[in-house]
Amino acid sequence: MPAGSAVTGVSWGALLVLLPLTGAMVCFLWTRAARILGLSTVIAVCLAVAGLGWQLLQEGVYHHAAGGWGAPLGIELYADGLSLLMLIATAAVALAVSIYSTGYFKRARAIRFWPLWLILLAALNALFLSADIFNLYVTLELVGLAAAALTALGGGAAALRGAMRYLLASLLGSLSYLLGVALLYHSFGSVDIAMLAARMESSPTVWAALGLMSAGLIMKTALYPLHFWLPPAHSSAPAPVSAVLSGLVVKASFYLLLRLWLELFGSVSEGIDNMLGLLGSVAVLWGSVQALRQTRLKLLVAYSTVAQLGYLFLAFPLAASAMTAWNAAAYLVISHALAKAAMFLAAGNLMHFAGHDRIADLDRMVQRLPLTVFAFALAGVSIMGLPPSGGFIGKWLLLEAALTQGRWDLVAVVILGGLLAAGYVFKVLGSAFTQAAVPQRARRVPASMEWPALLLACAAIVLGLVTLPVFSLVTIGDAFGVDEVVP
Amino acid sequence: MNAAVLYALVGVGLYSLGLYALIVHAHLVRKILAINVMGSGVFLVLVALARRGGEAGTDAVPQAMVITGIVVAVSATALALILVVKLAAETGYATLSGNRQE
Amino acid sequence: MLLQSGFDVALGLGLLWVAWQALNSSDLFKAIVFFIAFGLLMALAWVRMDAPDIALAEAAIGAGVTGALLLGALARLRASNAGETTMGQAGNGQRRFMASRRLLWIPLLLMAAGLGYAVLSLPGYTPGLSAQVAANLGASGVSNPVTAVLLNFRGYDTLLELVVLLLALLGMWSMAGPAPPPSAEAAAVLDGLSRFLTPLVLLVAAYLLWVGTRAPGGAFQAGSLLGAAGVLLILAGWRANVASTALSLRLVLTAGPGVFVAVAAFSLLMSGQMLKYPPAYAGILILIIEIAATLSIGLTLAGLFLGGRPRGERKSP
Repeated sequence: MPAGSAVTGVSWGALLVLLPLTGAMVCFLWTRAARILGLSTVIAVCLAVAGLGWQLLQEGVYHHAAGGWGAPLGIELYADGLSLLMLIATAAVALAVSIYSTGYFKRARAIRFWPLWLILLAALNALFLSADIFNLYVTLELVGLAAAALTALGGGAAALRGAMRYLLASLLGSLSYLLGVALLYHSFGSVDIAMLAARMESSPTVWAALGLMSAGLIMKTALYPLHFWLPPAHSSAPAPVSAVLSGLVVKASFYLLLRLWLELFGSVSEGIDNMLGLLGSVAVLWGSVQALRQTRLKLLVAYSTVAQLGYLFLAFPLAASAMTAWNAAAYLVISHALAKAAMFLAAGNLMHFAGHDRIADLDRMVQRLPLTVFAFALAGVSIMGLPPSGGFIGKWLLLEAALTQGRWDLVAVVILGGLLAAGYVFKVLGSAFTQAAVPQRARRVPASMEWPALLLACAAIVLGLVTLPVFSLVTIGDAFGVDEVVP
Repeated sequence: MNAAVLYALVGVGLYSLGLYALIVHAHLVRKILAINVMGSGVFLVLVALARRGGEAGTDAVPQAMVITGIVVAVSATALALILVVKLAAETGYATLSGNRQE
Repeated sequence: MLLQSGFDVALGLGLLWVAWQALNSSDLFKAIVFFIAFGLLMALAWVRMDAPDIALAEAAIGAGVTGALLLGALARLRASNAGETTMGQAGNGQRRFMASRRLLWIPLLLMAAGLGYAVLSLPGYTPGLSAQVAANLGASGVSNPVTAVLLNFRGYDTLLELVVLLLALLGMWSMAGPAPPPSAEAAAVLDGLSRFLTPLVLLVAAYLLWVGTRAPGGAFQAGSLLGAAGVLLILAGWRANVASTALSLRLVLTAGPGVFVAVAAFSLLMSGQMLKYPPAYAGILILIIEIAATLSIGLTLAGLFLGGRPRGERKSP
């Protein structure tokens, strides 16, 4: 099969980092063509993800020894089903956001947007591919700085303040993580995740590292009560940036937390999982109530992110049913990535059209922007967890795990969170369907901004129909260690 | 206790002092100073502990990591400072809770 | 021996005291000066720990460039009257909140004690990676182990790190307008000094770069010296006329990460592994990357100090 071997012979993982980095620099050098160069780079990244996917299906997990040294001296890249899933979600959101940005940013801001955005994309890919906890620190910083710079792109006091708050939280999180890395390196003499996993044993130092790294990553993932930075940053950034921040950036730190938990800390962390579950529950309920109370659309969507991130942490106390709980977390991560990105893009369209985002004054949008309102509604279906959608599958799996373990408290949280989500989604849709009392000023929304939102929302729905392929993808490399867990 | 462990403990102390200042102070430049002091504390722990076995040669890997960390820190500081300057030009305050909300 | 450990204890306590001053001095200018002193003490500590490469980087970047950035920002903040927050600006409720935060030291003390215990209870001596570094140093193309780790064994980290630096400049340019004009009085004082110092700094930077392959030094130390020279020139009122040179400016800024990425892509193509150098060419490849990185680092740091996009036309006479 010559065509197949040509595909599997290429080191797609390394390209996933090098391509967007090259694109970023070329965009910076040749500003006049930034838009077309940026878009082509993102398309190339999508193709590379497809290549990596094919490679994984054919040959199993991906290993790449950067520098040719291999662990422990060198840095290893590694991709299994879980990394691939994150990379696919990243590529999908990145493509939609990039097409959207061609219409959203005018020339002066476009030439600043593209290099920063491509660096962020490279950093996210590098994070999902790294198997080295110090290299992961560098990628975390790269993600954080790029995201903060993009947040400030909107200008104005609110965006600057949001970006600053986010930057400080992000730096604090990375430093805590790095101190944990230092302790692990000096405990076991390596920064390679697989080597650390083999040498891991419980000790006060490991406990301190666990606490520091988890706290740092939880801060970056904005789990209640460390979520304070998220709503101001995500609501004040330009729409495509908000989509990336809520859809991808917070998921990156969650992915890393999950990875560390599965590979390193799962065996030495009795009791903490229940605390994470408790914080997750509070986040679901408190975030949803806050979302319900908002009068501005983007803040509502941002608080909804706080709530939906809470769901991810409900998987930890249910880890005894490993397969179900972790599949639920993976499903929730990617379906929220798609749905929330779609929601922020749709919100961006509404703002672009009406010039404001006061929910009460969004009347008669349905007649003027039917595609956008439809996209918002479809994304809402997934956020609420109604069938058939990715969000439904994720929440259903969580319920299943909670029911089999008799965790009625978590069952209640999942159901209540869904009802509250229905409340805030219909609050927006209700306003959009009302008759306008006064005619509004309106700006045309180009098709390049309407369709990406709709297609992302559709993808979030379709995700609910392709469960079996997704599950079989995630099992590549057995990231969830299902064989070892005794229920 | 040898000098290596002493420096590592100093590193822990700097990390804690920095964290305290980061939370307590409102002025953003002070918060940035605090982040930098915390970072120096982490770097000290990273390099000092490599020497806790005595004079058994130096480990170049954590040293290289710290050089990487220093460059990352100066990048982050520069970005944070320009944010503060812009924020102050916009609102008149170099704090997150400036009175002149937009 | 006793004298030495006495020195270490004094230095450790000194670090903590200067850090406390830097964090809590009532005057922000004083705090920044203490922070610069803190950086210099850190450099001393690195020397004590046999880490001269870090000591050089810390003195040039940690104390030098960071200090200059902080002072520059403070000057611009004072121009918009935000150099200091007085208590008068904080409302009553906020003041009460501040008071409750004073109790923060209790959980933080517990955290510090826990971390200290974690450090003290580390299991014996783990060898780390010094043996692997030593065993492979011969094939790395350089003989300074820190340079070998930075540019060969863990070169991928360094590649990303150069991108971080570029990103900081891109981020600054994306939000800042044109750079503020130079201050006239500083220019008058520094003009003569910079004429004398700049060639000297360039010479030392070139030496550090060249010697870095086998002794303490290398791209980061040399680059940060270049950056410091740039800071001096900017303070002296010198501005490049970038209208005609914008592309070449950007080319130098991307030279470091650009060459690094090109080497990564080329090695990926040739050997299937990115940044895997053939041992025979490792030395020359590392030198090429280091020269490009030094120029980029120097220009980027100076650009960060400039505090905005370079103006299109010459501003100062």
